[in-house]
This record gives sequence, C-alpha cells and structure tokens, in this order.
Amino acid sequence: MNIETVAVIGAGVMGGGIAAQIANAGKKVYLLDIIPDGADQRNILSQRALTKILSSQPAALMHPRNAKHIVLGNLEDDFSKLAEADWIIEVVIERLEVKQALYPRIDAVRKPGSIVSSNTSTLALSALTAGMSDSFCEDFVISHFFNPPRYMRLIELVAGVKTSAETLTKISDFCEIQLGKSLIHCKDTPGFIANRIGAYWMQTAMLEAFRLGLSVEQADAICGPPMGIPKTGVFALMDLVGIDLMPQVLSSMVHALPANDAFQQQSNIPELIRTMIADGYTGRKGKGGFYRIDKSKGQKSKQSINLTSGCYADSQTAKLASLAPAIAKDLRQLLNHPDIGGQYACSVLLKVLSYSLSLVPEISDDINAIDRAMKLGYNWKYGPFELVDRLGVDWLIKKFEDQQLAVPVLLATAAGKTLYRTNEHSRQRLSLNGDYTDIVSKLGVLSLTDIKRQQHALLHNPSASVWDIGDGVLCLEFHSKMNAIDADILSLINASISLVSEHYKALVIYNEADNFSVGANIGLALFAANIAAWSHIEAMLESGQQTYQALKHAPFPVVGAPSGMALGGGCEVLLHCDAIQAHAESYIGLVEVGVGLIPAWGGCTELLSRWLSNPRCANGPMPAISKVFELIATAQVSHSAEGAKEQLFLAPSDGITMNRERLLFDAKHKALSLLAGYYPKESLSLTLPGATAKTALTLALSGFMQSGKATNYDAIVGEQLATVLSGDQVDISEPSCSNHLLKLEHNAFLNLIKQDKTLQRIEHMLETGKPLRN
Amino acid sequence: MARFNTPIDDIKYLNCEFLDRSLLKNSPLLSELNDDTTQAIFDEASKVAENVLFPLNRSGDEQGCSYNKGQVQTPDGFKQAYQQLTAAGWGNLSCKTEYGGQGLPHYLANAVDEMLIAGNMSFTIYLGLTIGAYHAIEQFASEQIKEQYLPAMVSGKWSGTMCLTEPHCGTDLGLIRSNAIADGAGAYKITGSKIFISAGEHDLSENIIHLVLARTPSAPAGIKGISLFLVPKFLLDKKSQLSQNNNVSCSGLEHKMGIKASATCAMQFDGATGYLIGDLHKGMQAMFVMMNSARIHVGIQGLALAHAAYSGALDYAKNRLQSRSISGSKYPELAADPLIVHPDIRRMLMTMKAYTEGARAFSSWLSFQLDVSQYCDDLIQRQQAHELVSLLTPVFKVFLTDMGELVSSLGIQIYGGHGYIRENGMEQYLRDARICQLYEGSNGIQALDLIGRKLPAHMGRYCRHFFHPLSAFIEDHKDNERLAAYIRPLAKSFTRLQNASLYIAQQGLTNPEQAASVASDYLKLFGLVVVAYMWAQMAQKIDTRQGDMAAEFYDAKLVTGLFYMQHLLPQTTALSASIMLGGDSVMALKESQF
Repeated sequence: MNIETVAVIGAGVMGGGIAAQIANAGKKVYLLDIIPDGADQRNILSQRALTKILSSQPAALMHPRNAKHIVLGNLEDDFSKLAEADWIIEVVIERLEVKQALYPRIDAVRKPGSIVSSNTSTLALSALTAGMSDSFCEDFVISHFFNPPRYMRLIELVAGVKTSAETLTKISDFCEIQLGKSLIHCKDTPGFIANRIGAYWMQTAMLEAFRLGLSVEQADAICGPPMGIPKTGVFALMDLVGIDLMPQVLSSMVHALPANDAFQQQSNIPELIRTMIADGYTGRKGKGGFYRIDKSKGQKSKQSINLTSGCYADSQTAKLASLAPAIAKDLRQLLNHPDIGGQYACSVLLKVLSYSLSLVPEISDDINAIDRAMKLGYNWKYGPFELVDRLGVDWLIKKFEDQQLAVPVLLATAAGKTLYRTNEHSRQRLSLNGDYTDIVSKLGVLSLTDIKRQQHALLHNPSASVWDIGDGVLCLEFHSKMNAIDADILSLINASISLVSEHYKALVIYNEADNFSVGANIGLALFAANIAAWSHIEAMLESGQQTYQALKHAPFPVVGAPSGMALGGGCEVLLHCDAIQAHAESYIGLVEVGVGLIPAWGGCTELLSRWLSNPRCANGPMPAISKVFELIATAQVSHSAEGAKEQLFLAPSDGITMNRERLLFDAKHKALSLLAGYYPKESLSLTLPGATAKTALTLALSGFMQSGKATNYDAIVGEQLATVLSGDQVDISEPSCSNHLLKLEHNAFLNLIKQDKTLQRIEHMLETGKPLRN
Repeated sequence: MARFNTPIDDIKYLNCEFLDRSLLKNSPLLSELNDDTTQAIFDEASKVAENVLFPLNRSGDEQGCSYNKGQVQTPDGFKQAYQQLTAAGWGNLSCKTEYGGQGLPHYLANAVDEMLIAGNMSFTIYLGLTIGAYHAIEQFASEQIKEQYLPAMVSGKWSGTMCLTEPHCGTDLGLIRSNAIADGAGAYKITGSKIFISAGEHDLSENIIHLVLARTPSAPAGIKGISLFLVPKFLLDKKSQLSQNNNVSCSGLEHKMGIKASATCAMQFDGATGYLIGDLHKGMQAMFVMMNSARIHVGIQGLALAHAAYSGALDYAKNRLQSRSISGSKYPELAADPLIVHPDIRRMLMTMKAYTEGARAFSSWLSFQLDVSQYCDDLIQRQQAHELVSLLTPVFKVFLTDMGELVSSLGIQIYGGHGYIRENGMEQYLRDARICQLYEGSNGIQALDLIGRKLPAHMGRYCRHFFHPLSAFIEDHKDNERLAAYIRPLAKSFTRLQNASLYIAQQGLTNPEQAASVASDYLKLFGLVVVAYMWAQMAQKIDTRQGDMAAEFYDAKLVTGLFYMQHLLPQTTALSASIMLGGDSVMALKESQF
C-alpha cells in the first residue's frame, strides 16, 4: 500500500510547511488544527496557515497550484477524515500530555496499517507511546523535519522497539522518493542527532565568544566559512532562528540529559541575552538581535551589538590576522594561530569535536549518519568526523594532549588511522571497535562525489571533468568558479562528444555544486570588451554556438541534470540536451538582459522553437514569440523545476527528481531509456513573421517604458531581442533555418556588448552580484 | 660644448594644434588663455631655459653641492637663478591663484617644465619638490596649515621635500621605522633617519617644509599604519614668522652618478615637531596622490633629457665634418661632408627625433587628460579621464624614462669619442637621465603596477578609455589610403597589445608570477602602441588641416611619423612573441644555478 493521502495535525509553521511539501509531491494532504475559543470561522487556524504558505519567502510551494492538494479542516468537524490518511503526522505543541491525549483519538479512527508519526524534537518516543496499543506502536515513528521543510533536506527518523519493518520501509520510501528528503535513523535520545550536536555547538560558540571577548562579526567570521559552516556563523544564525528559542531548547536538553553530560557545562545564558529577550530583541522576527538594520540615518545600515556593553554600532568587517586567506583556508593553521581568532576557533572546535566523538554510540553507531545529519540539518559543509579527518586524527590527539584535555575513546581508537577511508570498492567508516564498515548507498542513489573518490577522470581541465558512471554512461561535471561556462568547459564538452561517440553510449551533464551553472564567464568577456577585442568576443560566441550545436546533434543521448541555479549559458546547455532530469529545486532562466545582453549561444533559438511547437500556442507564431520575448526580456527564472516546465525551459517529457541524492541515478536511467532507436535532433526550420512581429514587440516595449517598467536602455536591449525573435528581415512565407537565428543572436550580442551601458551592467553584476538598472 | 635649443616649435604645435581641448572649452581654467598668451608664455620659458638655466648646467655638474657642518651650498649661480625664476613665477604655474599661483592648466605647465628641465635638470628639482609638497598639502592638510604654509611655498620663499625612503626601505615603505609621538598639544614629535631626500637642505630658500612618513606607536603593522607629517626646518611663531630651529638636520650628501647639482641629503629628525597631514594611518593615500603627479613629472624629465641630447647631437651632426656621403660628396666645397649625410647618423637622429616628438605628444595629451580629470564640468568625463591617467601613468613614466636613457646614449654615440668627454656635455645627459628609471617607483615596479593594479581594475574598465577610442580611430580611418602607412601598422600593433593584454589578464588570475615575468615587456609594448597612436593622430590631423606652422614642419612630422611606424613600432612583434611565450624560463633556474 502506497502513501497517497496524508494528514497533518497542527497548522503552525512546521505543520504548514510539511503540508506544503507533501502538496509539492502531488499528494492530497489534510491540514487540521483546533477551533480556537470564540472563533467564528471553524477552519481559522488551517486557513491562516494556508495564507502563510502562499505568501512565505522563500516560497513553501513549488507552484501556487499545488495549494489545491491541501485540504483545510479542523479537529472537531474533520477528525473522521483521518480515516482516509495513509500517514498521519502529529505536529502539535511540544507538550507530552497534549500528544498523549491525542494519540488514542487518532488510533480510534485511523485505518489499519496507516502510519502515525510525531514531529517532536524534544520528547522521547518511549514516552509518547507509553500505554498505546501494540498495533499503534508498530505503526508509529518520530519523523523530525527541519525548518523550512521544503528546503531543509533532513528528516530524523526514530523507530520504537515495536515499530514494524514495513512501517519503516514505507515511510522511508515516501520521504526519500516523494518528498525528496534524506532520512537519518536516530536513537531515541534527547535532541536526536542534529540538535544534540547543533545546540551544543551554538551554545559553545556563543559562550566562548563572550569569554574570549570577540565581537559578533569576528565570531561569525571564524565560526563560519573557515570551518565549513554557513556564513551566518553563530550569532547571525541565532538571529535567524529566534534568540528566544534558545532558553526553551536549553531547558529541555538540560532536563533530559544526565548530569554528567558535557552539555550541562555549556548551558548557562549570559545576562545580556536574557535582557535582549526580555526587551524584545529576539532576532530578525523581533526588534533586532545580535545584528540589526538601522534606518535612523535615512539609509539602511547594518549594526552589531557589543557583547560587553549591549550597545549597537555600525557593523565592521572582521579583521583578524587569523582570517588571512592562507590561514583561514587551512584549519590546522587556524587552530594553531596565536591571536584571539585562532584561540576561539581552537576552543570551540575542540569542544564540539570532543562532544561529537563522545556521543558515539549513544546517539548513533554510525559516524557517517551523524556527519550527514549535521550537513543536512545545519548546512555544514563537513560533519564533525569529516572535520576530524581534515585535521588529522593524530594531529588532533596531540592537540587534545597539549591542552590537557581527555582524548575521546573513538579518537584514541583511530590513532594512526583515519575515520573514513576509501578502498577500490567503496568508502568505509570506522566503528568503535576499530573495524571499518562499508558505507552503502541505497538503490537509486548515485553519488558523483563517491565515484570521484574511486576513479580518475577520463577527461579533465581546470573547469570541467568527465567521469564514468557505469553502464556506458559518462558524466560531464563542471567545477569552475560558480560553475561559470568558459572556454575550458566548451572544450571539454567537445572532447566528451568525441569520447562518447567512440566508446560509450550516452552523456549526462551533472555536478554536485549548489548551482548547476550561473551562466557564462562574463568576467573575461568584459575584459575583452574593455580592450575592444571584438574578434575575441566573436570567437567566444562562435565557439559556444558550435559547441552547443554539436551537443544537440551528437549521435547519442545527452541528458542535462540541473539542481539549483541554471542561468544564462547554463540554461542554454540544458536547452540543447535531448532530455532533462531536473532536481525539483531547479531555478532555470535566461537572465542575460540583466547584464545588458541577450542569449547568444542558441538560447533564443531553442526556446523559441519550443514555444512555436507548443500546442498551447496556436494561431500563428505571434503568441509564441511574445511569450519568449517576455521570458527573456524580463529575465524570468523558474522558482522550481515544476515552474520551469510551465516556461518550457523543461519539456513536458523531462523528468523531475525530488531527492537531490537520486538525481544522478535518475538522469543516468533517463539517458539509458533514450538509447533504443535514438536519433539526434533534426535542425529546426521555423516560420517567422519578420518586420511585423518586430514592430509589435517594439510597441510593447514602449508601453513598458511609459509605465516605468523598463529603462531606456532596457528598451534598447529589448529591441535587439525583438530583432532576433522576429527573424528580422525574413519573409513569413519562407521558413528560416536555425542558422539564420543563430546569426541574428550573434549580431545582437555583438551590438550590445559594444555599448557602455552593457559594460556597466556586467561590471556591476560581477562586483556586487546584483543587476544594475541603468 | 654641446649647444642647446628648446623644442619651442613642437611645443607650440602640440598645444595649439594637436590637442583637442574641446572637453575644457567651458572651463574657467581656459577662459583667459588664448593661443597668443600661451605662445608668449612658451617663448619666455624658452628664453629662461636657454639663457638662464642652461649656462649653469655644466658648471653645476662640475661643482656640485657642498656640505659643511649641516649646511649645504648649491653651485655658483643657483641662488640668483632661483630668485629670478621664482620672482617670475616659473615655479608655480599650476598652483592655485588663491595661494599666489598662476592657476594654469597642467598641459601648459608641463610643457614649460620640459623646457626648463632640459635646460638644467638638477636646478628644476628644487622647484619640482616644492610643487609635489604643495599638491599634498593643498589636497590633504587643514585650512590652517594651508594658510600658514602654502603662500610662502608657492612664492618660492620656502621650498618643500618628500621624506619617504629610509636606509633599510625604499620600494617597501611598509617597513618604515621613523616614529611620531603625540605631544599632547595637537602636534607630534618625529624621530628617525631619512635618506635620498632631494632638496633636503640647501641655501636657496628661507625655510624648508618636509613632508615625512612616520609611524605612530599604536599604528597597525605595514603600509596601513603609516601617517604623513609636515615638519618645517624652522618652526613658526604665532604670527607665522620663522622662529626657532626645529630638530631637523642634514647629516650628509650622497655622491651620485648624475644630477650632481641637486642636493640629495641624509636627514635626521630628532624629536622634531610635526603636524599631521590628512588622517592618521592614511599617509599612503596622500603619498599616492603625490607619487602619481611625481611619476608624470619624472616621465617629463626623461623626455626633457632626451630632447637636450637630441638638440646637442643635431648641432654636432650638422657641423662636424667627417667622411664623404656614401652616395657621393654633398658638400664638395668643404673638406668633408657633415655627419648628418651618413645613413647610420640619420638612423640615430631619426630614432631620437621620432621617440622624443612622439613622447612629447603623449606628454601633452596625458597632461591634458589630467586637467580634464580635475576641471571638466562633466563628472563622468572627469572620472574617465582620472581612470585613463591612472592606467597610463606607469606606461608614461617608464616609456619616457627608458627613452631618456636610450636617446641620451645615442647622443653620445653621434659625438663619437667626444661624447665621452665631460666638457662636451653629452655624457652628463646620460648620467642625469639614469636616475629617472630608478626614483619615484623603479621602472620594474611600474610594470607591476600596470599589470597588477591598473589593468585588472574593475575587470579592465580603465583600459576602456584608451582601447575604445583607439579602436574607433582605426575603424574610422582604416580606408583612408593616404593614411594607410600609419593606420595599418598601428592596427597590427594594437592587435598585438590586445592579445597580450588578454594573456596577461588570464595569467594574472591563475599564475601571477607568469604575468609578472613579462610585465616589463608588456609595458614597453603598451608604450610603443600609445606613441604610435599619437603619431597616427598627428598624421591624420595634418592630413585633414594644416595650421600656422611652416609647410616644412608638417612635412617633417609626416616623415618622422612614418619612420616611427617603420623602424620603431616593429619592436612590438618581438615583444609580443616574448610576452606570449610566458615566463617559464625566467623563473626555472634554482638560485644556486645563477
């Protein structure tokens, strides 16, 4: 029995977010909550939750229409609806008696074999299910989501002693494949894995900053990227999650943990923070937090609190000798550095690593599970045990000894070795008994990172590599800065086309960076333009067009597999693939106008031909041309893979994978599925109206300008785009070939990059990361 | 002894015909300045250079400065000349009128400077240092200090210096040890040793105003902890009159290869009273402003000495009779033909002439851009001119000073053995010119500045202001057959420059050592192209319209430009090859293999 209908009880922030993600998976979900005293509208709470879901930023829904899967209700009129649900998720207030009172009622109406889970983060499963029937216990788990549920990929799963294997399989499959989450099995211990270590880390990082006298900027700069932690560090992260939450988390941990747990020593709350909470300085949701935006001087300025005086002053970039790039990049050097930043890094990290090491096997026997939980739940780049290996087990043992700290047992066990190792077959992890155990991926999970550990690249240059992912399929990986497309990537695309043609069956274009590709490397193009090297720019244009055409006409299937952003030149790669298997969180668009350019590696041509052959755009070419004009001229980027389908950046037959870890596997199988009877795409021939269409588009542009939506220069860029999309000087009675359009793209690009305003836009984008409206 | 004439005709031509001054046509700076006034100023300056300064050039070199118990005596005649020149205002052409300056544009002041320097480089160093100090004070000091010090400096009553170098640090000023301790009364006590201080002590002015880089006790390490202080030789009383001796002393003079009449002093500050100029720890900011204008000034020194050598060599080549022309006697009535009939002498004269005139056009144009960057009403034009000047300053400094060395050496060559004899004056030009490649940032440092700072700034934005107009110029004139001999070589060398720039930019990101290994070659290539652009513009303007100069003048310009395109610009081929092959062999040897 598959899970088709879900019920979420409790329509708070987490309940709403979980319901939205279930709706994103296309499943029906009831969202129920109580009827507050005196409410005139019986569904008021779930109604409010839906309003929040629809307006949340970042969006909880991958497409607004997914809201139709959410059925609103209340716990009085609609309780019987739980009988329809294959999975009932309890997300009510964190009070044991409330939950315990609810479960018998659920058990009374639910259908046999349906799963019941709690999203608790602090209560023990044993307590929750005390006194419940065996059948309930067999079907019960804790499923702990992280906020926001659409974007945080971790679910901690806790099974009770009675939980059935079938329940576990069913919920795992659903959460992993349908919801796209990664499940980490946890023991029934306080805070499970991520919050146990995460809360300890936050407390330690905060208290040590107070103790050593660091500014919040300094603490966040050290306890951030140098350690593989997001740049919010500790204080900006507390602002984000809410400072007032801290005492609650702490008190629940302090009560639940034994008196000798190291957490107990890190659990006090500085007076300043108590005052801040009391005065409403609870972080971003309150009057401000450790940081705040000050608007008193007419313009916005960022301020930081002084941890000693409690006064705000303008934020300063953290300046420490230990933050010099060469030192901050090398963790050992950072920990050895004598300045306050080095002392801080050393103190925090030794405590956190020591604590993490001491928690095996209490919270999990599997160090890889713990690392994964920290990476997925706190967005750390490395888990604590990966950090141990980066520092070196023996180096760290010596460090503990030098500081006269006890060497954790697991670390002592690992002396002379590493916590992880790779042999020719698999990656292995160390267990407490000193043996290594294989780390086995689930069926359907294929990791390029793992593949790269075990083989040499077939082709390689500084910007891209090609890997053998088995069954005759190669994977082309970009790894330039921001995965920007440059001459090296183009040359490796060409080389991989030759290689696959001769010896392999298919090609997948995929990488495991946050973003598939942010576009062409415009830095070099800007430099070339600044020195008027027009022939160099023309060569770059031609090389890109030829390469993408070669990809399109390659005699084997090519599947693009994006995740994150695929913009500009990165989007154009996808448009030339035979098929796409996209991660649900794919943000695709042709954004060139933002830098005063138009797509010129075939992007206009490909998107136009998709829209022209779209059955929704009947009645001549004009509706399709207008639509493509709108998409490109306003630099629209899809908010999800689902949105990209509507914009035809993805074709109807392209696939979407909810789980990031399953993307490469799915893409590979998509490629293999195209093999039978494969023919490369034919060259297009399009019927375009020419001058009349250009006039119509230009007219629309002047409308935008008059209404203030477009600047004068937007109109100039738009006119160049109109020239391309209309086919320029063509006769509507004669179909034009795609080469004609490619030539028009080329000319329009060249016209634009010679303009000062385009160069200003590119420079501004490169230097600030933001578009310039000039 | 070698004769000397100023390049007065060329200067008039460049300023009144070549320069397109339209960007400043609305500026008050130019409103009272018509061509007649300009030419009158040039004529006067030319006379001063030829008749007042040049006669003191040889004697000054022979006599040098002398040191006695902390006092420095300048050579005979310098004091009178100093009084004569400052009284006539030759030292303050570009200073603001509110302080008693003439308020004239840089392009004009720099042209005058070229003539004065050519007449006597050592002498003009005393004037030049005062102007450098003036600019730093004018831009960064408090109103009170400006009022106290600038009028007397502008009038020449007091002179100025810049005290940067210390015995252990020159290029790397972050190592400076001189210290400044707040005296509690708003001033500082400065203690330390400075060396290579031009005009640090002399007998020309009543007071000497030193600008000193020093470090306060709590300052951050390195270049970011340095502050700038004004330290007068004599302190002022409440009425701004000279009062007691400040604890500043000269402990000796350097014995130098050239510019012997310029006093190069070792200075000792022993708790001398100093006043902060600009913000604490921001001394380098003020120093950079001074250095940028100083670098342009040094470039002009290179140009001036090249001209002086050319002037002497030309006179000699016309008058020295030696051998017959290879194509048959040209002056049968004389015992032999003059040197100038011989092709190899011609080659040298043409090389000297084509470099100097091309560089002078570069100087005129860049100086005008400096005016645009300060005075143009259009703020965007002003910013662009500022960026253009920033980009081209290292190119200008190096190209013109390298040329100064090369051309003054050719001057000796034309004289033959007599060029090696002191009293003929030709070898002095080479000795004087040699310093220009060393001071104000050695030429190697300039090349690093170009590829490391100027080229990559804002992804090449500074370049746009040079490359785009040049590209458009080629595009506009490429079909003009009459100009083909200028435009085609220019276009080819421009392509080489573009390719080299792309290469340097790419290497600079991934392999900076590779780029640095060929930086000097790249700068030279850049300079050759800039000067080719100047020559092509001169040819194009003469082709369109001829002005008030004699027909022979324009004809000579066109031929000299052609010589540049045919015989000097082709160096870009070799430089381009050297650059594009990278620096592997430059860096490959182990230190022990040297």
